[in-house]
Parts: sequence; structure tokens; C-alpha cells
Amino acid sequence: MKHLIIIATLMVSGIIHSQTNFEKGMQKAFSLWEANKWDEAENMFERIANAESDQWLPHYYIAQMNSLKSWSEKDANVLKAQLDKAQEHLNTAMSISKDNPELLVMQAHVLTNWVAFDGMTYGMKYSGKISELYSKALKIAPDNPRVVSGKAEWDMGSAKYFGQDTAPFCKDLERALELFANFKPESPFHPNWGKERVEQTVAACKE
Amino acid sequence: MTLNFSINRSVAVLWHQSKNEQFKSTITMKQFITYLVLLFTTVAIAQTTVNGKVTNTSGEPVFGANVYLDGTYDGATTDEQGNFSFTTEETGQQTLIVSFLSYETKSITNEVTTFTDVQIKLREDVSVLDAVVISAGTFEANDNSKVSVLKPLDVVTTASALGDFVGALQTLPGTSTVAEDGRLFVRGGDAAETQIFIDGIRVFTPYSPTPNNMPTRGRYSPFLFDGITFSTGGYSAEYGQALSSVLLLNTIDEPDQEKTDISIMTVGGGLGHTEKWNNSSLSVNASYINLAPYIALFPDRNDWEKPYRGAQGEAVFRQKFDSGLLKFYAAFDTSNLELNQEDINYEEGIDFKLKNNNFYTNASYSGVLNNNWSIKTGLSYTVANTDVGIIDSDIDNKEHSAHFKLKLKKRFSSRFKLSFGAEQFLTDFNETYTDESISASYGFNDNISAVFAETDIVFSKKLALKAGLRGDYYNTTKRFDVAPRASFAYKTSKNGQVSLAYGNFFQTVSGDYLKFDNDLKTQNTQHYILNYQHVSDGRLFRAEAYRKAYDNLVLFDTDMASFDSDYTNEGSGYAQGLDVFWRDNKSLKNIDYWLSYSYLDTERQYLNYPEKAQPSFANTHNFSAVVKYWVDDWKSQLGLSYSYASGRPYTNPNRNGFLNETTKSYNSLSFNWAYLLSQQKILYFSVNNVLGFNNINGFQYSNTANANGNFNRQAILPAADQFFFVGFFWTISDDGKDNQLDNL
Repeated sequence: MKHLIIIATLMVSGIIHSQTNFEKGMQKAFSLWEANKWDEAENMFERIANAESDQWLPHYYIAQMNSLKSWSEKDANVLKAQLDKAQEHLNTAMSISKDNPELLVMQAHVLTNWVAFDGMTYGMKYSGKISELYSKALKIAPDNPRVVSGKAEWDMGSAKYFGQDTAPFCKDLERALELFANFKPESPFHPNWGKERVEQTVAACKE
Repeated sequence: MTLNFSINRSVAVLWHQSKNEQFKSTITMKQFITYLVLLFTTVAIAQTTVNGKVTNTSGEPVFGANVYLDGTYDGATTDEQGNFSFTTEETGQQTLIVSFLSYETKSITNEVTTFTDVQIKLREDVSVLDAVVISAGTFEANDNSKVSVLKPLDVVTTASALGDFVGALQTLPGTSTVAEDGRLFVRGGDAAETQIFIDGIRVFTPYSPTPNNMPTRGRYSPFLFDGITFSTGGYSAEYGQALSSVLLLNTIDEPDQEKTDISIMTVGGGLGHTEKWNNSSLSVNASYINLAPYIALFPDRNDWEKPYRGAQGEAVFRQKFDSGLLKFYAAFDTSNLELNQEDINYEEGIDFKLKNNNFYTNASYSGVLNNNWSIKTGLSYTVANTDVGIIDSDIDNKEHSAHFKLKLKKRFSSRFKLSFGAEQFLTDFNETYTDESISASYGFNDNISAVFAETDIVFSKKLALKAGLRGDYYNTTKRFDVAPRASFAYKTSKNGQVSLAYGNFFQTVSGDYLKFDNDLKTQNTQHYILNYQHVSDGRLFRAEAYRKAYDNLVLFDTDMASFDSDYTNEGSGYAQGLDVFWRDNKSLKNIDYWLSYSYLDTERQYLNYPEKAQPSFANTHNFSAVVKYWVDDWKSQLGLSYSYASGRPYTNPNRNGFLNETTKSYNSLSFNWAYLLSQQKILYFSVNNVLGFNNINGFQYSNTANANGNFNRQAILPAADQFFFVGFFWTISDDGKDNQLDNL
């Protein structure tokens, strides 16, 4: 009986310990990121990802960081390596958390970066896939603001290109703004970004 | 098409301070004490400091590397001098991990207290994009490859190709222009010397049969494939039974979305549908081609009784498993035609009838096993029925072929990989020949067992080697061939590299002769290749010099191969030359173009050749230029492709010698225009040989001399000088985005 208690105690404290570790780690990573220490933040996420094999969030943020970094990268080889790294971590995240709308949106972003990098090569290849990802995400989470706005912006891009009416997408974006206002992330570390961008686009819609 | 999308640069990284953990109430006093004790013990343990320096192999500091203890949160990022330092409460044996983008991750396991002043040297990752790649002989058409010569879309947007993947490859160097045939003739080899594989599994009857002097097309629709590798020599030991070249086609792993495709063309129509489920998907498509209306509008030089009619159906089913992918592919096609072709020896021409049914199925599995092992296996089965009628004779044949292959690969590290496998080819071919006086049946049974092994060694980012060995055992003739292959690549500068390749290649004699003499030995070539390649942003240059030696080629003693000819393996020959390729999509805005030039010097004695000569399918000079221009304002892609080939030899019986004259050179300019009506509707228009060059493929001479003792001749002309094509393609999908531009 005594042993059992000790074991139980160890287990309880173990769980508490690891939860706090995860939260502490994530907090540290975010504060580094906020302080614009990207390398250090990314490395912290990597350490967390490595230590916590059942957490998709650190992988998600590594993917997002690499996806964002690729925007300002001039060296094509580095840029491809960054997008490949983002993809690698997304693959791991998606194997941990299946049919996760946030991951589907991030996957769409990574592919969009390939298209932006070399439209001639990747435009045709990934356009259909990106649309499919947004459609799938929308089926799973029709009220996720990042899903709604991501899909609307993507569709708006194509509509503009073909000279079609973009008004319905502006409407979707306005709806996304409302969704942003009411969005409650599952935990402090779950994705909760994207509102400002949509505000800008909606403002542009009204011009 | 560039679609803008951007997320806010300063990503809103929002979080709240974590709430107070309210676990106190749930814990008893006793447990709380235990917890405190535990906490105390942890605190009581002296913290260990881990520090050191990270450099690369040349001693330069690595800035930004991640250094940490495996499985913990304890770690640091190296500074500009490569230094790192952090403290940990961990004790005992620990693993220190050092990782950085484009370097190999390093790990050291030891007592944590020993991790002070650690000097770590990171080796460059050899699998990164700018590392050396073995490129001798190989052209890749995919997006994943480091050095891709073509993109998958090129196969279908090249003006002269008309949606035929073989047609697109004919714009690459190393191929000869044999306009009346349509198949691939590589580096002085005939068309039978190129083998085609789908997902690693052999295709036995890749081309649709056609009458004499009419070019054939690949049977399989190009949009099923997303990766194409075309090797013009020196290829891997995995591929056998090909003297000159292999063409590897990989089917798409996962279709993008559910959709329905409709196409309406001047020559027929097509319908396709893709359905997706959680872990599986099915794509089916069917097409019907009928040349009758086209020929009624634009009659060609043939006198058609029944213009070409063909129907084709294809299906691909894919099932994903946790660690593997199963693909099942099946294609059926049937064609029927009847015509009368001019012939100098027959005043009333030659009546030609053809009926062909072909069924091909292929199942393949690729998966990951434990400990860095992976497996690829597959099986294909072909049944082909061809009934040909020429004047009064009937030739009916039936072929059953199968291929089974199993390949295992072990990745020891990114620097050392080993693969090996075994395969079995089976062909059963039977033919009957009937005319008023004779009826004969004959055939052959080909049964080949083979094993292969290959290793990939990457010494550094600059130097790589691939070496393999292959053994083929022929069950009917009880012969065994051993074929060594090796290639190596060295990076000479940031963007340039040199590759060398050597290989020994065997192939059984073509069924056309094997059916008359089953005991013929296998034919052999040896390839020596020297390749230089320079890749910079958006531009690619490659030049390749080669020498091929042919041996054991089949030879027979009559004009035409027949069952009463005498066959030997005493033929031989050589081919040597230079292939140059340049592609550029950077220098001119919205323009992507490539240029190919091949110089070929070849002679051989084979088949009915009385002496060594340049074969009639070999051109000394081949040049092609392909240009694609995207006009944004018109939502259109305009394409041009031009090809030039110097004349090909033919025999003029009015003079002494064999293959003693050459035709005039060949020229053709093709144009296409793809117009996006809307996101899902495309109008496509193309013309082959816009300028209407009068090309001559060769000459046919009369069998008997005329009154002056001369043999009359007739030029072998293409059935039509020009070909027009108009098509409308419509895709219906949920999101209304996808189109068939890649189907064209």
C-alpha cells in the first residue's frame, strides 16, 4: 500500500512536472520569438518537440517560423531548405494530430510559399492542392477564423486574376473578423494569430 | 500564375500567463511532503554546466546551432563565435545533440559532467540541395529532384508533343528524329533498345500499333505521372533488358482533389473522374478517338477504308497505409483501322488492316520498414492481341508478359545506402501467319530471372559514387550475363560538376527475330559517359560526351526476317557523340525555353546489313528549340517548338553500296496556344509543322529495274504535312479552381 502511494505520488508529480515543463518551455520560446530572437526561439521549439513526442504545437511553430523566414530569404537553396524543414515538421505534427484544421491551414501556407517562390514550377502543381486543403479544413472547422480567412484570401487571389467579383470573399473576411473576436484557443499555446492581416484586407475591400 | 497570399509578418504571438496550477487541494499532506522531498532532492543536486564550441569541418564557427540534452528542455543556441553554455539538473549518462540546418546532426553520449568545453565539429549534410548529384546520362522531369531538366508540365505543354510524353522527350538531346516512327531512338540505338517502366515495373507494349510510316504515340496519358526520369545511358543496375535507354514513369501518389474532367476535341472526347476517401483514392478516365471527321475535312496521303478509331480506359487506385503506399493501375485500349497505302511495287497499293487490344495492369507497393530499411515491390501483367492483315495475308499474334520485382534498400546514413533486389520477366508470344498458300505458327517463351545490388556512397558534398552489379539468367538458353555499372560525380565549383559513368548492358534479341530462332544470344552494349553540368538560378547547361560499343547484335541472311532465315549473333557496331542542353527561364520575363543539340557518329552491322553502315534511323545532327511564353493579359500560354535533323541514310540500288545516300534534312515548327477561358475552362489549339516544310522520310525503290536498267523510286512522305488540333477542356470540382492545363 505504501509503495502504491509512493508510485502514485511519483506519477502525479511526474505529470505535473512535465506539464509545467512544457508550459515553461513554450513560454520561453514565445518570449524569445517576441524578442525577435528567431534562432533561439526555433531551437527552443525543437528541444520541446524532441522531448515531447505527443505534442504537435512545437512542430507547428517550427513550421510557421520557417515558412515566415522563407519570405525574406534571397538564397534559393536556403529558402528551399527552410520550406523543406517546415514540411518535415508539419508531417510530424500531422502524424501526431490527424485532421487538425490549424495544420491544414499551415500546410496550405507552406505550399503557397512554394507558389510565391516559383510560380512557373509550383503554381499549377500546388494550386489545386491548396484549394483542397482549405476545403477540407472548412469542412472540419467551419468557424475557425484562420480557416475562413485563409480560404477567402486564397480564393480572392484567383478571382482577382480572372477579373471576377471579389465581393463574396470580402464578406467571408468580415465574417472571419467576427470569428476572430470570439475565438478561444484551446490553450494559451494554441494558434491564435492572423487577425491584423484580415483587418488590413477588409479595409482594402472597402476602398 | 502568381497568387498573392501573405500572413501578417509580425505574427500575433499571443498567449496568456498560465493559470495558477490548482493542484494543492487534490493532494494529501503526505503526498505533499513526498513532493517537497522530491523537489528538494532535485534542487539539492548541483547544477552541471554544459559548454563548448561548435565549428564546421574547416574550423569556422557555426552560429545558431541548437545544442541540447536529448529528451530534455535543457539547451542553448550557439553565438557568433560558435560558443554555447547552459546548465542542467540532469545527471548520469546523457546524450548531447547538436543540430543545424544543412549540417548533419551530431550526438555524443557520456556522463553529463564530462560535457565541459566540448569541441564539436559538424559535417555538412550531403543530402542538401547544393550537394553533388550523379547525373551522367540522366534527365529528370520532376519537382523534387535537385537537377530537373523538365518539369512534369513540360511533357504536356510542349507544342510538338500533342500530349504524348514520348513526343516531349524527343526535344531532349540524345534522341534521333525519326518522324515516321514516333518511338524513342536513343544515341544510335533502335527503338527496341529503350525500355519503359511505370512505378519501377516494366511496360511490355508501351506504344500503340500503327500502319507503316505513321508515327505511334505512348499509350498512357501523361497526366497520371508526376515524375519522369529519362536516361540516355549509364543507368542503374536496377534496370536491365535495355541496351540504350530507360524511361521511368512514376504515377501520382495522391491526387489533389475530387474532380470531373471533360474534354471535347476535334479528334474525339474524354471523361475523367477522381474520387478521394480518407486514405485512398480512385481516378478513372476514358477516351474515344475517331479520326474519320478530321480525315474527311483534311484528307491525307493514305486512302482510308476505316480511319483510326480507338477507345481507351485507365484506372488508378491508391491506398495509403501507416508506413506504405499501395497503387493499382490498369489500362485497356483497343484500336481499329483499315487503309490502302501507296507502294511502288503494287499498282493498286497495299491494303493494311489492324486491330489491337491491349490490357496492362500493374500493382506496386512501397513502404518503410524498421531500422532505415525500405521496400519496393510490384507486379505487372500485359496481354496484347494484334490482328494485322496485309493484302491477302493475315498475321495474328498474342502476347502475355509479366514482370515481378522486389527491392530492398537500407539507408545506413545519408552518406551510405545499399539496395538490392530480384526480378523475374516472363513473356509468352505466339503468332500465326496465314495466306493462300502457307499457314505457319511460331513464337517464343522468354523467361529471365535477375538479381541486382547497388551502393550509393557520398564521400562529401563534392564527391559521390554509385556502383552496382546485375546478373541475368535466361531460363530458355541457360545463359547467364553479369553486368557491372558504376558512376561517379565530382563538384568542380559552386554550380558546376563533372560525372563519369560506365556500364555493361544486356538485352534479349527483339521478339521480331526471337520468334523465329529461340536460341539467339543476348545483345550487349558498353557505355562510357563523361558529363559536365552547370546549374544556376533558373538556368541549366549540360554537355555529355559518350561512346557506346555494341556486340552480339542479331544478323540474318535474307532481305526480310522470316522463319526460313538463318540467324546469328555476329552483328556489332558503335555509337559516339556529344549531347548539349541549355534551359533558361530566368533571362527573359515570362519566357521559358530550352535548346538541345546532339551530334551522333554511329555505324553498325545488324539485321540484314551486308556491312557496317550508319543505320537509317540515325541522324548525324539533331537540334531542337522549345519556347513557352506566358501572356498574362491574354491568360494564355503560347508555345513554339522547332526541330531540325540532318538527313538519314537510305539505299539507292542504282548506285553501288548499302545505305549509300542520305535524304534532305528534316525541319518542323509547331505552335500551340492554351487559353484559360476561366479558372476551369481551357481552349487549346495547336498546329504541327506550321510552315509546311515538305519532309521526306526516305525512299522506296521498285523491286525490278525499268527499261533503262534503273530502279524507280517513290518518296516516303508523312501521311499529312500538317496537323491541326482544337480541344476544349473543362474541369468540375468542389472549389471551382482546378483546371486541366496539365492535361494538355
